[in-house]
Amino acid sequence: MNYDNVEILLVEDSADDAMLTIRALTKSGLTNKLHHVIDGAEALDFIFCEGVYASRNNKEYPKLILLDLKMPKISGIQVLEKVKSDPELKSIPVVMLTSSNEGPDIEKCFALGANSYIVKPVDSDNFFKAIKEIGLFWIKLNQPQH
Amino acid sequence: MKKNDSDELIIAYKELAFQHQEKENRAAELIIANKELIFQNEEKESRAAELIIANKELAFQNEEKEHRAAELIIANKELAFQNEEKEHRAAELIIANKELAFQNEEKENRAAELAIANIELAFQNKEKEKRAEELFIANQELKQAEDDIRKLNDELEQKVIERTAQLEAVNKELGSFSYSVSHDLRAPIRAINGYTKILQEDYADKFDADGVKVLNTIIRNSKKMGELIDDLLAFSKLGRKEVKVSEIDMTDLVKLVREELLYEDGDNIPEFDVKILPPAQGDKSLIKQVWINLISNAIKYSRKKIKTTVEINAYEQDDLIVYYVKDAGAGFDMQYYDKLFGVFQRLHSQEEFEGTGIGLAIVQKIIDRHKGTVWAESKLNEGTCFYFSLPKTKPLN
Repeated sequence: MNYDNVEILLVEDSADDAMLTIRALTKSGLTNKLHHVIDGAEALDFIFCEGVYASRNNKEYPKLILLDLKMPKISGIQVLEKVKSDPELKSIPVVMLTSSNEGPDIEKCFALGANSYIVKPVDSDNFFKAIKEIGLFWIKLNQPQH
Repeated sequence: MKKNDSDELIIAYKELAFQHQEKENRAAELIIANKELIFQNEEKESRAAELIIANKELAFQNEEKEHRAAELIIANKELAFQNEEKEHRAAELIIANKELAFQNEEKENRAAELAIANIELAFQNKEKEKRAEELFIANQELKQAEDDIRKLNDELEQKVIERTAQLEAVNKELGSFSYSVSHDLRAPIRAINGYTKILQEDYADKFDADGVKVLNTIIRNSKKMGELIDDLLAFSKLGRKEVKVSEIDMTDLVKLVREELLYEDGDNIPEFDVKILPPAQGDKSLIKQVWINLISNAIKYSRKKIKTTVEINAYEQDDLIVYYVKDAGAGFDMQYYDKLFGVFQRLHSQEEFEGTGIGLAIVQKIIDRHKGTVWAESKLNEGTCFYFSLPKTKPLN
């Protein structure tokens, strides 16, 4: 399988949410190069070309990581920390996705270098709107520096 | 001759005889006396010689005596002087004596007084010892009481620490509970809403009119549930949120809120008459929420009036600043006033005016946390005025 040219890495443990997110991005014309991983561990394998992703070209970085905060095994915060503390990877924009703004994690995410933070709205119209705006902003307008 | 003459001659003879005799006697006696006198004379002459000698002796003695007398006079004078001196001295001594006697008396008086005072002191001393003993006992009791209080205090402090820890634990638990509720409840509702939306968008042709209505109802209700969850969480978060007090420029804040709200809501916006408002002290983000809720309420309930004005102003009353938002909108019946600030309490139907009924409960909680009060006056179909007061001084907590 070819994982090169992946523009958006979606890290989302909820298949339902993932499908809604992918649908919103598709409707915005942004899903042709999206890859979905289902937890933090797989996300790290993908990013660092380990495990099933060992054969991936480690010089090809996604242009955007959509990272769910609350996931089993390795949380979004841990993934964020690894990405932002790696000099090669830290310029990849990471947008945190979460179901709520209740957690104590918002400030921590920004402190660790998250580029944006969105609370997934219940209302699907708003949800689609938010995902679409994020995708457009970080992919189309905010080109990564490398 | 007569006889008598003869007799008288006899008698005179006799008398002459006798006198003769007598003279002879007398002569004899005189001879003897003479002899005696001669002897006496002799005696007297030897006596005179003796007397001369004695006289000389006496003269010498006399002279001696005169010397002695002169000396005695001098001695006498001396003695008289000394006597006088002694009298003076005696007088002085008498005075001194009297003085001493007086002093003595005084001293005796004083001694008597001292003796009384001494007795008094001894009594007082005893009293003091008694008192000291009492004080010692009282002191011990006090110490005991103090120890007890300290012990109680320590226990209380311990209890406070335990209770605080419990409260902190409960608070933390509530926090994670809220987090779970918001995170885990929202996710399925989002799925319901989102997937129904997909049905509506991608499979609309497979549903008849009733089916579309059902889909709309699902979407509307799931959206509503999401709002309710969000509102409830926002409300519960208020009680836990720390109030960060700062100086707030209320005129600026109201302007900002109004601009944000007018940007969101499009149709039939009322006119605003915003006066210059006195600054307040409070948590800016919380007070902003108060203005958002009150102003959006005013806009919402003015919507069905053709052209109305919302007045925002403030006045000072004692130690309070009272801010108010007055609309000429739908108003409400004051007999339901007690429900106005209740959580999820609404005085209008969803169809009439949308809303979850949390806005005013949030306003009340925020103002409570600022040690202020919120209240309202309204008349159905004429409009409502919401007031909130904030203390002029820095709120505690």
